[in-house]
Amino acid sequence: MFLQLFDIIFYFFATVTLISAGIVVFSKNIVRSAFSLVFTFFGIAGLYVLLNADFVAVAQLFVYVGGILVLLLFAVMLTQKISNLQMKITTLHPIIAIILVASLIGVLCGIVRMNDWRIITISEIPQSTAQSIGKALITTHILPFEIISVILLVAIIGAAMLARKSEKKS
Amino acid sequence: MEFFSKADLIGTLPLLVVFGCSLLLLLLDALFKDAKKLVFSVGIIGMLTAIGCSLYTFPLSATAFSDMVLVGGYASFFNILFLTIGIIVFLLSYSYLEKQHYHLKEFYTLIVISISGMMLMASSADLIIIFLGIEIMSVCFYVLAGYKRIKVEGNEAALKYFLLGAFATGFLLYGIALIYGTMGTTNLIRISQNFDAFSHPLYLAGWGLLLIGFSFKIAAVPFHMWAPDVYEGSLTTVTALMSTGGKAAAFSSFILAFSIPLSMHNEKLMMVIAILSAASMLIGNVFGLAQKNIKRMLAYSSIAHAGYMLVGLASGTKLGMDGIIFYLISYSLTNLGAFGIISIFEKENGGNLSYEDYAGLGSRKPILAALLSLCMFSLVGIPPFAGFIGKYYLFASAVQSNLTWLAIIGVMTSLVSTYYYLRIVVYMYFRESQQSELIFVPSLALASVVLVSIGIFIFGIFPSLILNVIQNLL
Repeated sequence: MFLQLFDIIFYFFATVTLISAGIVVFSKNIVRSAFSLVFTFFGIAGLYVLLNADFVAVAQLFVYVGGILVLLLFAVMLTQKISNLQMKITTLHPIIAIILVASLIGVLCGIVRMNDWRIITISEIPQSTAQSIGKALITTHILPFEIISVILLVAIIGAAMLARKSEKKS
Repeated sequence: MEFFSKADLIGTLPLLVVFGCSLLLLLLDALFKDAKKLVFSVGIIGMLTAIGCSLYTFPLSATAFSDMVLVGGYASFFNILFLTIGIIVFLLSYSYLEKQHYHLKEFYTLIVISISGMMLMASSADLIIIFLGIEIMSVCFYVLAGYKRIKVEGNEAALKYFLLGAFATGFLLYGIALIYGTMGTTNLIRISQNFDAFSHPLYLAGWGLLLIGFSFKIAAVPFHMWAPDVYEGSLTTVTALMSTGGKAAAFSSFILAFSIPLSMHNEKLMMVIAILSAASMLIGNVFGLAQKNIKRMLAYSSIAHAGYMLVGLASGTKLGMDGIIFYLISYSLTNLGAFGIISIFEKENGGNLSYEDYAGLGSRKPILAALLSLCMFSLVGIPPFAGFIGKYYLFASAVQSNLTWLAIIGVMTSLVSTYYYLRIVVYMYFRESQQSELIFVPSLALASVVLVSIGIFIFGIFPSLILNVIQNLL
């Protein structure tokens, strides 16, 4: 009974993610793409919850749905003349693209099928992961944690530099 | 509870100095209105200090921050290489940016930060650090490629590099995730020590995706499409940094990640890398023949050189690895010299970049022409120069591991490359010049080009000076 309910929830989130991701890619209207991205991120957050990754799920909601996406929507809505823009979504070399993508998908699907997956049976209610993630970030993973701040700094400098008004010739 | 010790901090001192230096540059930039000279000189002082720290940490051999980064030896050696490249790019850039009217102070900050990324890549003992190092370096490069943002080709270069680079990062990250999923760790030694015994499909797929990610960063065929456009569209000194530092950094972490699996002489892995290598040598050199723009020609040449270095990786022997490291040094020096001279010769709005423009340079600027010829001879691999010794080691390693066919392709394609490298020499000395404009040669840039050429000479005549050091690295 429990397992069936779990399956239903999983397929629900998986369908939401896939369909909305399809709309993001194939829609010609940028506003529609931006809004359906909300559902993609939401569906992924749901999948994280099912995978027992509670911290990642919440971070996904906070950062992607709450932060990045709202910013993206604002950018789309504040940019003039963008809402009626018809985007070009044609492929330049369809035959080559189909061959390459199909072979990549084939290889990955084959690997997923061939793999003998470890099956873990959970007997008790799983613990929250937030505490162990927090501990790892300031003990074993303190260096990567600090380095990420450098990446963010570079991204800010770069964005500011590229977006600045053109300078006068010296 | 202590999370890291004093030894960790001392071991990663070069890295910390460079991080600190980049923050200082940013501050100086914000505090002073016209601080180009100040930012420039503080940047050079910072990098010299970091070289000093690298020399200090060189004898150490350990890991720091819970097995995240390597300390001393290999890491310090590459740190010195990247910092030297950084200093030379600084020296070349000052007058070049002035000439091109793109003199913004962020330029120097971005270069210093990109070098910190390269240093991380060469000292990684963990897949996470490799990923972070690649990202720091690449994000800087995306921005630097788009530095000519009022020009179409600058925007094209930045956008193309960014989109393809993001795609390659996706592959790399997917590979890291699969390897972590099967092994439960991202530590480089622990994930690769059972490479032969462990034939989990997901595990092998992870390594395959990792290989794709690295191949993109070193611009090996078929993941090379970005290189010619990006090299052509970026400022010449930025191209010099990308083609030397960027490539050396990618190879340094490529070696760190793949040296253990390769040392087991896994036939399939060797074959895959050998095919990548052969394709890069063939396509790079054949397309190089057809180029009219010097920067594009050097882009295809850099693809071909990635192929030569992959020969050493495919062999999987220690000789091959040593060969790659030596080759990286000689290739970096040579390309810095070549791009340096091109940047001196380049006109204000990007003129003077075709073969015809170099006609008669031998009589107009004899020193520049002689130095450029020296670089071209070294790129071909003609004996008294460093390029020859590097190629010799790489091809010898291929023969040693029964990959003679790969060595033959290498030698044949090197012969092909002679045509387009020496064509520029022919133009400089045997063609009459149509233009008589004066070329201003800035002293800082000239000095750095002369220094680099002396390096090419010394490492070509006395390779044992540096080979003795390289042999004790891995």
